[in-house]
Amino acid sequence: MTIVLQQLVLGVLIGGLYGLAAAGLSLIFGVMKVLNVAHGELIMLGGYGAFWLFALSGLDPFAALVVVIPVALVGGAILYWGLFGWVVRYHEETRIKNSLLIGFGLGLALHAAAVQLWTADERSITTAYAGSVLDVGGVSLPVVRLASLVIAFVLIGGLHLLLNHWRWGRAIRATADDWEAALMTGIDVRRAYLIAFAIGTALAGAAGTLVSVGYSISPSIGLEWTLKALIVVVLAGLGSMLGTFAGGLILGVAEACSAMVFGGPYREVVGLVIFLVVLVARPQGLFAK
Amino acid sequence: MRPASAAAGLVIVAALAAVPLVVRREDILNFLFLVLLSIALAQSWNVIAGYAGQVNLGHAAFFGLGALVTRVLWIAGTPVVIGMIAGALVAVAFALLIGWAAFRLRGAYFAIGTLALSEIFRITVGNTLAEISTLPQTTIATYRLANRYWLALALAVLAIAAVAALARSRLGLGMQAIREDEDAAGATGVDALRLKLIALVCSTALAGLVGGCFAYYHISFYPSHLFSPGWTFDAVLMTFIGGVGTLHGPVLGAIFYVFFKEYLAIRWVDFHLLIFGALFVAIVLLLPGGLVEAMGKLRGLLESAAFTPDRRRPRPEHR
Amino acid sequence: MLHVDNVEASYGPFLALSGATLEVRVGEIVALLGPNGAGKTTLIRCIAGLLRPRAGGIRWDGASLASVAAHRIVERGIAVVPEGRRLFATMTVEEHLDLGAFAPHAHAGRVQRLEEVYTIFPVLRERRGQLVRALSGGQQQMVAIGRALMAAPRLLILDEPSLGLAPRIVESILGVLGEINRRGVSILLVEQNVQAALVLAHRGYILESGRIVGEGTGAALMDDPHVKRAYLGPLALRH
Repeated sequence: MTIVLQQLVLGVLIGGLYGLAAAGLSLIFGVMKVLNVAHGELIMLGGYGAFWLFALSGLDPFAALVVVIPVALVGGAILYWGLFGWVVRYHEETRIKNSLLIGFGLGLALHAAAVQLWTADERSITTAYAGSVLDVGGVSLPVVRLASLVIAFVLIGGLHLLLNHWRWGRAIRATADDWEAALMTGIDVRRAYLIAFAIGTALAGAAGTLVSVGYSISPSIGLEWTLKALIVVVLAGLGSMLGTFAGGLILGVAEACSAMVFGGPYREVVGLVIFLVVLVARPQGLFAK
Repeated sequence: MRPASAAAGLVIVAALAAVPLVVRREDILNFLFLVLLSIALAQSWNVIAGYAGQVNLGHAAFFGLGALVTRVLWIAGTPVVIGMIAGALVAVAFALLIGWAAFRLRGAYFAIGTLALSEIFRITVGNTLAEISTLPQTTIATYRLANRYWLALALAVLAIAAVAALARSRLGLGMQAIREDEDAAGATGVDALRLKLIALVCSTALAGLVGGCFAYYHISFYPSHLFSPGWTFDAVLMTFIGGVGTLHGPVLGAIFYVFFKEYLAIRWVDFHLLIFGALFVAIVLLLPGGLVEAMGKLRGLLESAAFTPDRRRPRPEHR
Repeated sequence: MLHVDNVEASYGPFLALSGATLEVRVGEIVALLGPNGAGKTTLIRCIAGLLRPRAGGIRWDGASLASVAAHRIVERGIAVVPEGRRLFATMTVEEHLDLGAFAPHAHAGRVQRLEEVYTIFPVLRERRGQLVRALSGGQQQMVAIGRALMAAPRLLILDEPSLGLAPRIVESILGVLGEINRRGVSILLVEQNVQAALVLAHRGYILESGRIVGEGTGAALMDDPHVKRAYLGPLALRH
């Protein structure tokens, strides 16, 4: 029984990161109707950023968030100005299609660049406290992963607050609901897009940092994490950041269950199968408003 | 098709067919095989994405299914052509499952659904069929590269012919109407779902056949490699670089891509993907018609530079 | 104040406006009437900056609006209450009103303006924390008007505010519009309820098939035989 509980707890711990990864993607898609399938590669870059900060200067990865998040914010703004901002002149269907293609090419290029620069080897950040474990009733909670879950929750909670109480946060929500009405209310919709994209990318960077310390990173995690994020977004639906976080936890737990029933190698498959099933049965998601 | 183009086409095909009889060097034959197979693969993606406007990010799934089924049946003793047809049918079956579910939703769902499908296959096959698949000694002993070459040539011709026929047909025009504006097309009585499914069947059947040919050609590989996203990348890149939605685009793109990939791969391992990825993004944003569009513009520039007073010169047809 | 000069606008190949000219002077209520598909909403979209006319000009306070971005139109003093209300589905009443004052010039004095809106529409004060989805049609229309008022407009444009509402509610809303006008806001009112609109309006225009076919004072239009036949009375054009 403890083994089952242990696996479920581990599932919840990584589920929080799935939720964080999905939140960025969901925000961008909800506001701009742009699906950045290179989101996973942005997570990967965040991870490498934290890794190299640690390797070269010894900066603790949790502290590195203070560096990675602003850098990713700026990076997101640059990606918007240089790439995704150009597709917003099209109407929705073409926008989605072109953003899929651009994200596809971007992901390809970033993956290849990462392999060139840092080789395909897996990396992980091992801090002094990396092995610490909290024992709760027979279940061991790796401290690093626990801290990551808490931070992921805090970030998403922070995002939720921003969207509800910050002037531009509300403007972003309004743009997501009805961009023409937002324009008529005096909201610069292009600026809302920019802000949403930058925040989404910052969340990806943060997620990457947490992945690099609690788990491991390599150039190929990009596709993997893009799919995780997509699965959670489809599972949870758009519109609620907290719902997205919950969706992430559900995915983590589902993976843990499937690993126990079908064996470890099929852990990844269950998420994808859930995705296809939800797609067919309830495409608007489980928690959609 | 104009008689001049048809005749030129026949000459080219005949010349290509004669190559194995004249050339003995295996590396040239392998290279040409790769080009021909790539042309067929690119055209197969072109059908669903270029003509029907549905972005398929999991094309590897259908290539892989065709390859896997063909391989299994062929090694078990079935004639390879039967195996290939079976492979194509299996690919089509799965395609219809996804398509029927996803085509009624927004475009993103089809793209991600196919991506999910190809990853499911890659992981599952990687777990259940982990060992390398190698041809038995008897088969290797009687291996004739020329046969593979001619098969690839046949597939390339089939793919080009299929796209050419489709482009001019009523089906094809309906598909292109959907690509431009699905709602508007629906208002004029076009059955979008039916046309998208037809395009999907053509696309994935071709992809399955291409996979089958690959299985016939390669002596050994890991089965999960058949579902690697790299196959999707290749198809997408080649089609876009050449000119998505055109007849000649995928052909040009395949030649360009295979040539540069082989050339660059010798010097830098994965670097070609970085260059192609960046080139691809640039094309999507700036020159969506790819090489075909670039060539058309170049031709236009040259024509206007030649001060041709007679404006009634017939326009060269490319779409 | 607002001058629309011979505006032509099209959606792709379809010509929706083939030369519309109208004006709204300070302190007026102007009605814009006409059958469905005549181009009324198209004209509003042009003024709001959502659609660029392919010919003709729109001038406000003497300056052309042609190169003004849509979100800047509000800053100039024009607020639009769009057809179908176009509220934000995930937001509450208060969030809507707060967003209404998003433009920089509306930031100052917004607390006071919020009070004014709640005074004009007491029902909204009661339901300030509710999601707008939970409100009735009439209340939603009030939110839409309130949102526009929060931008401190000098010209308020309303596109079919009575659509789908019970006659009693329509009456009260049009009454409110009269009150708003008395407080100094000019109004351009697109309406299908011709009778009520002409009673309220100082002047009116008739738009049919993309061009203005009639104009005059409210009273004059109500007596106009074409107007009576087409828009009032038993054989009026059904929408």
